[in-house]
Amino acid sequence: MRFWIKTASLFLFRSGRSTAVLSFMILTAVASLIFLSSLSVGVNDAMIRNSVSLYSGHISGFALPASLGRESLIREGVANVLKRNSIPGILSYQDRLETVMMIGVQPSEEKKSTAIPEKTIRGRYLQNGEREIFLSKLMAENLNISVGDTLRFNPRTGAVPVRLTVSGVYRTGIDQLDRGIAFYPISVIPVKVDTWSAAVFLKEGAEAESVINNYRHELPESYQFKSWREMMPDLRQLIDLENISMGIVMILVFGVVSLGIACAFVIFILKNLREYGVMKAMGVTPWELTLLIVTEVILMNLVASFIGSIIGILAVFIVDRVGGIDLTTFTSHNPYFVVSGVIIPRLNVYSLCTPPVVAFLCGLVSSIWPAVLVARKKAAEVLRIV
Amino acid sequence: MIRVESVTKEYRSGRGYVKALNEVSLNIEEGTITAITGKSGSGKTTLLNCIGGLESPEQGSVTCFGSNLSALSRKALCLFQRRHVGFVFQHGNLLSYLTVFENIAFPLALNGIEGKKKAKRIEALLHRIGLSKAGAALPHELSGGEIQRVSVARAMAHWPKMLLADEPTASLDSDTGRSLIRFMFEMGREQGCTIVFSTHDLEIIELADNRIYIRDGSLEG
Repeated sequence: MRFWIKTASLFLFRSGRSTAVLSFMILTAVASLIFLSSLSVGVNDAMIRNSVSLYSGHISGFALPASLGRESLIREGVANVLKRNSIPGILSYQDRLETVMMIGVQPSEEKKSTAIPEKTIRGRYLQNGEREIFLSKLMAENLNISVGDTLRFNPRTGAVPVRLTVSGVYRTGIDQLDRGIAFYPISVIPVKVDTWSAAVFLKEGAEAESVINNYRHELPESYQFKSWREMMPDLRQLIDLENISMGIVMILVFGVVSLGIACAFVIFILKNLREYGVMKAMGVTPWELTLLIVTEVILMNLVASFIGSIIGILAVFIVDRVGGIDLTTFTSHNPYFVVSGVIIPRLNVYSLCTPPVVAFLCGLVSSIWPAVLVARKKAAEVLRIV
Repeated sequence: MIRVESVTKEYRSGRGYVKALNEVSLNIEEGTITAITGKSGSGKTTLLNCIGGLESPEQGSVTCFGSNLSALSRKALCLFQRRHVGFVFQHGNLLSYLTVFENIAFPLALNGIEGKKKAKRIEALLHRIGLSKAGAALPHELSGGEIQRVSVARAMAHWPKMLLADEPTASLDSDTGRSLIRFMFEMGREQGCTIVFSTHDLEIIELADNRIYIRDGSLEG
């Protein structure tokens, strides 16, 4: 075996230009696909980041008892837990009324983790302890109210009405957030709320499912937790679709590259057919000849894939260093990119390993055709016709 | 002993079936030098190929040193060629991506001869062919005569029982050709190798122990 590896290496090394051209095809495909796969992972990351960081977090907790502190939900992998409560009621300003779900938030904590404050179009976000309301542009228009005006909130629970001043107006572009809800600092409405909901934000790389499993293991079953995958099935499907599309692109690219390699190798081998004929005359068996050709293709693939991987990784690293690719122009009206249209390619096991593995397998398959072609030819036939 | 018995070989070409060998029978004693001559297309190469197992005859049989080549499996035939046969071709046919040293090493490695024994054998052969300093040269850096000398050294490297040479001097001038033939004969005699070669050169034919004349696929005389 060592002899055939050495012979194949010498063949590739001393057929420099032909080897370089063939390797270039593989190298380019591997490098481009590593970058593309990383970009695809980056797009998924961006969609998740945009969707969860706007408001909901990676995990939503429901029906949590007032006795449970937000600190109880902080675990390994958890970056922040936001405590919220909801009070249904009616907002009134002059002669106008609007039904509303008032969301009590901790303004300073919300600013740290969510992007709603960044969506302010007039005025400013809420401040801790102030009797303020932060409402959507649509609701402000319906109530015909401006920043600085004071409105009245009548809780449906029958509690005493509260007067709140409009601190700011926002617009997210997402219907669920732009219609029917408004925000206020959690401490300023004296309504007794039995339960609260949590928005759990995770650190980079932490898996929502494993944190939920941890909660389920340690907290009572009545506490409900849902990951962004359950809360946003449309986003999950979009990501699955993206992954499948990427897989198809990868197979197509390597299918074409493999065919190219196989064709180029057949030409390469036909050019050197006489030498294979001489080897056969010297007693090299068809199996050994097949082994030699397959080894040549494998070695070329390994070297080209290695170099291609380094180039791909470098490209990802460089784009990451320059702050990603800003596609805001193309994503500004997309609900999955409401916070930012910047895509930062990210390497993971899938994006790093799949292209070289697929290149290796395709190369292996593409070597079979020329190998069989040579192995089946008789030495005398080759020496006579070439 | 090499025994060729009633060997017939046909080819299919654009002009229909061509009988390259027609009921050819001959015996070649071990350790002798045999020249095959005849016009172009008379069947010299086909006869050499049949003796070396590169082609199998439609009829008849070839027995080399007790092995009936037609009865051997594909693998056994390859192993027979690897161990017992050395080929020299008209244009040398060195492996272009291997150096002179590596070309000579090739049959040795195939036969499992490695390490010091291999290096010593190659050094001796390089010295013998006057290319001691050209071991690292690639075939395209050699002259025609040098290529043929390396080709003979490669064919003899693994001490084969039989050397088959198909017009080894055809691409050389007469002086270089004769010098190559003398070298080939010397090597053959030293190693007790049976040499069968084809040529058009009448002077070279005279140097052989036996002469075979072939015309239109049949032996003459």
